[in-house]
Amino acid sequence: MPSGPLSLIAEVTHRCPLHCVYCSNPLEMQMRDRELPTGIWADVFQSAAELGVMQLHLTGGEPLARTDLTELVAAARKARLYVNLITSGMGLANERLEGLVAAGLDHIQLSFQDSDENSANEIAGARSHAHKIRLAGLIKQHRLAFTANLVVHRQNVDRLGTMIALAEELGVDRLEIAHVQYYGWALHNRARLLPTRAQWEHSLAMITAARERLAGRIRIDFVAPDYYAKYPKACMGGWGRSVMLIDPAGRALPCHAAGCIPGLAFDNVSEKTLRWIWEESPAFNKFRGEDWMPEPCRSCDRRTVDFGGCRCQALLLTGDASATDPVCTLSPKHGVVEAVLDQVNRSPEADDRLQWVYRIDPGASPGLPQC
Amino acid sequence: MSGVAGSSRPKLRPGCRLGDTAQQGDVLLIPEGVLRLVGPGRKIVERCDGRHTLDDIVRDLKSEFPSVVPERIESEVGTFVERLNKKGVLEL
Repeated sequence: MPSGPLSLIAEVTHRCPLHCVYCSNPLEMQMRDRELPTGIWADVFQSAAELGVMQLHLTGGEPLARTDLTELVAAARKARLYVNLITSGMGLANERLEGLVAAGLDHIQLSFQDSDENSANEIAGARSHAHKIRLAGLIKQHRLAFTANLVVHRQNVDRLGTMIALAEELGVDRLEIAHVQYYGWALHNRARLLPTRAQWEHSLAMITAARERLAGRIRIDFVAPDYYAKYPKACMGGWGRSVMLIDPAGRALPCHAAGCIPGLAFDNVSEKTLRWIWEESPAFNKFRGEDWMPEPCRSCDRRTVDFGGCRCQALLLTGDASATDPVCTLSPKHGVVEAVLDQVNRSPEADDRLQWVYRIDPGASPGLPQC
Repeated sequence: MSGVAGSSRPKLRPGCRLGDTAQQGDVLLIPEGVLRLVGPGRKIVERCDGRHTLDDIVRDLKSEFPSVVPERIESEVGTFVERLNKKGVLEL
């Protein structure tokens, strides 16, 4: 029997005023009329707490698009969950923030697309940067725990120093610096987003220095661009090991992208209990343990460290969700990743003229192949 | 010995709070994370309220654990507080 999940990611809506070119939502999104109502979410939070969940991540889309967000926060606190709000901040003004704080919101994570306003707005596909800066001041007034999430990629990583300085100026408690991971929307924009090796190494050095300089003031969490890694990431801490994600319509998934894996049926919290889904459902059990692993994972010492890497990445880059994650240098398919890296490091500017594929609204047709 | 002054008054930073012991065990909930507290960890964190000084906390712990060598309590409480400060959980 697996031990319970520690974190629940609640994608309460896929609606969003931004159109970020690396959005982690699936290409095919859930419509507003399919979104779970307040009461079912409240039950889900209670069941999640009973299953062992301590951290709730309210995300989307833009969770503020839900008019009942304050009630959701209150319901989660009633279940004794720690409530994180992952937001673009669009649609948040003082009165609503006051309500969220009063309802028990523990922490807010605000995303920034860049330190340069024009570039930030281009990546977000919306004029949003100036609003976020103003909002940061409000967050500080409420003494709410404040994380700035900086998503970095080839088009902005050269400004990482300025971005960190901006976050310091805004008075954040924590910084999450995340290199884009290549799924869904980001995969379609990979040719313009993937950093060069020199950029990646420079960003790592900057983050190491910033960590040292800011120790005790700002905690820095960091996500590496795994295409440059020697071994894969332990995606979500391993399939069905510590995280459960519920999409706006109530489908329970082991991660943001798992819906793209063919042949898996993901159960809905309106039909099955959270405990059954976690412990018994075929989808959550599919890649637990080691029986599903191919070589070289099966006999590799790192199989208990990275669990074979990311199943979605294996599917997207090799066509087989059960394959070793091809970012692993031991993968027989690692050449797929090397070819991509060769191209970006040889002539990165060649792809800078490509058009962005912007994340669309739920219901609009992306006109792209699924996944 | 730690580098934290005995007169400093450690305080949990915004967004850091103790969990519910009955439901969650001895944990410190922090933004997007959980720290498990072992031994006297919870007793120390409970006193990090901006009023108790580090010296006060050490004195309380010494009276709670009279069989433990006092120097060990001094050094362990200081190290623990310093570590939580580095993690951004406590302000000094």
